[in-house]
Amino acid sequence: MAATPWESDLASEIRERFGEGISATSTYLGQNFIVARPDLAIPILEFLKLDCDFDYLVDLTAVDWPKRAERFDIVYILYSFSRNERVRLKIQIADGYKPETAVGVHLTANWLEREVYDMFGVEFAGHPDMRRILMPDEWEGFPLRKDYGILQQDQRWVRENLGIESGQ
Amino acid sequence: MAGLLKKIFLADLFQGLWVTFRNQDPKLIYTERYPEERPKVAERYRGAPRLNINPDNGETLCIACNLCALACPETLIVVTSERNEETKRKELTTFTYDTSRCMFCGLCEDACPVDALELTQDFEMATYTREGQIWDRQTLEEGPRPTQYKC
Amino acid sequence: MADTTFLDSTELVLNMGPQHPSTHGVLRVILKLDGEKVLGTECIIGYLHRGVEKIAENRTYAQFNPYVDRMDYVAAISNGLGYCLAVEKLLNVEVPARAQAIRVILTELNRIASHLLWLGTHALDIGAITPVFYCLREREEALKIFEKYCGARLTTHAFRIGGLLYETYDGFEQEIIDFCKMFLPHVDEYEELLTNNRIWVGRLKDVGILSGDECKEFGVTGPVLRAAGVKWDLRKAQPYSGYEKYDFEIPTRTNGDTYDRYIVRMEEMRQSVRIMEQAVAAIPEGPIMGKVGKVIKPPVGEAYVSIEAPKGELGYYAVSDGSTQPYRVRVRPPSFVNLQALDRMIRGGLVADVVAVIGTLDIVLGEIDR
Ligand code: SF4
Ligand code: SF4
Repeated sequence: MAATPWESDLASEIRERFGEGISATSTYLGQNFIVARPDLAIPILEFLKLDCDFDYLVDLTAVDWPKRAERFDIVYILYSFSRNERVRLKIQIADGYKPETAVGVHLTANWLEREVYDMFGVEFAGHPDMRRILMPDEWEGFPLRKDYGILQQDQRWVRENLGIESGQ
Repeated sequence: MAGLLKKIFLADLFQGLWVTFRNQDPKLIYTERYPEERPKVAERYRGAPRLNINPDNGETLCIACNLCALACPETLIVVTSERNEETKRKELTTFTYDTSRCMFCGLCEDACPVDALELTQDFEMATYTREGQIWDRQTLEEGPRPTQYKC
Repeated sequence: MADTTFLDSTELVLNMGPQHPSTHGVLRVILKLDGEKVLGTECIIGYLHRGVEKIAENRTYAQFNPYVDRMDYVAAISNGLGYCLAVEKLLNVEVPARAQAIRVILTELNRIASHLLWLGTHALDIGAITPVFYCLREREEALKIFEKYCGARLTTHAFRIGGLLYETYDGFEQEIIDFCKMFLPHVDEYEELLTNNRIWVGRLKDVGILSGDECKEFGVTGPVLRAAGVKWDLRKAQPYSGYEKYDFEIPTRTNGDTYDRYIVRMEEMRQSVRIMEQAVAAIPEGPIMGKVGKVIKPPVGEAYVSIEAPKGELGYYAVSDGSTQPYRVRVRPPSFVNLQALDRMIRGGLVADVVAVIGTLDIVLGEIDR
């Protein structure tokens, strides 16, 4: 079963408003999602929040597809309390592209974006505090990238800070 | 007014003390005196692993199919086998199980087609060394031998 | 030059944690203080980071199942339910009604166990020593049921993708009914100890206020959101696993302070008992495993499924590339998101309130750091 086009008032409104920038509005397993151009993420989030009442950013995360030219998917999962509806917004970005931060729209995005940076190395432009959150500050490498092996570690950090050869 | 009186006479304090007093009843004691009194372990408890042997002839039930090793998320089971030329069947030679990394999830037990590997109700698995945590075939079949203390 | 403040005192920076009994794990909070007043905080997390999401990408779907128990280890069954539901969604399989009912019973029992541990430790933080003994006593009963059902007490691995592995044991229904009967008077007992206790009220009332709008802004869910007057519970809003069949209330309060969150959680335990009573009275007969193959291989696609865990919305975003291993599993932990609001809640409060507010958020560090 593949994704089918998502037909609803909201979908057509978004398509109309953002035109070319929206490459798909689809639904899969009953879950709706929008794929948009990277620079449109914040305007769409704003529009969804202010005009459509999607006032709760459930999650913000990334998926790494190393074989693709636009390597990362940034996924925003939104929920509206009044409509009781979820929608996912996806943007595809290349390695090195700095998407704009969503902290201005949803405060939750602060730590979630830091986590994405920590795990994938995607920096968010304009983020108030772009530091690692879970890994040690001086750690090198981004663990959740697909080319980072499961046994891989920052040898230098382990040796300097733990005084052992390997953390494995 | 009632509120003020309650405050003066410390009603909330006595209410709480009454609860603790009620729970003083020696019948309500809950503590298990562990080494002297064995706890009742549930039948399905997933504890120390055991490799079952056939009680009739003392041979192992394991057919060395390696399914448990494949099922284990921690890949801590190593099974080696040898082909018996007479019967043309695989026979188990060694079986190593690293209990120090085991999380007792039971997936290996589920995977075993002949119920040879089983997680038992034993829970006393502490040893003095890390190496002692790696169980070989003999330990798995006979069970661990914890040091007995007399008291 | 150091900032000077009122009376020319300098700001004091204090580290609370990572080894501090009332940070409930290895959380480090850097407090900026002016005397007793908290000017700002910063949370340092990650001490318990085990890379669960990375492990997921290197395990098969079934193999990853036991790992989710180790995130929110206080409510392992809820974690397992969320993960199983997410993979079932990807596979598009239906779970048999009997399995659903048993899942609901165990998840609600786990909610009670989680809330009991929260109540005990929270009271201990505030200075009430007694409740923790009583709470752990009742929690023990719940853990015994888990042990009998699936063979483990804490990290249970109770559910399998597609349904259940274990049938109920003999006397399961009776034990649940007995637990419910035994438990309700005990909730009243805790309330007797705490609800009117003047120290308890004094320490909790108007501490760590978070309004409903602020909750939404920070994405805070669970009892914290409900105590701020937002009547929202995923079990009602988007029912899963057959919750629509049961009749229960969503307890709410309006002040959004620590005391209200306490009341909400107490009431939630009563509602959980109600759900369990209804579910256990009508466990349907039938199979307990849905139609899933031995090898779990979902088609290419992605799904986000969330459930109402004891701490808030617990979501799993799973991406499949058509192989036997998940391409990506993202966990949306409620504690992580809730902890972010800590700064807003205690800014301007007193040092002693920090302990109360960390306690009231009901965080589990295993889940925050994953
Ligand atoms: S119980 Fe789990 S972790 Fe332990 S050996 Fe079996 S499959 Fe591996
Ligand atoms: S799955 Fe059972 S029979 Fe096969 S190797 Fe393991 S213990 Fe032996």
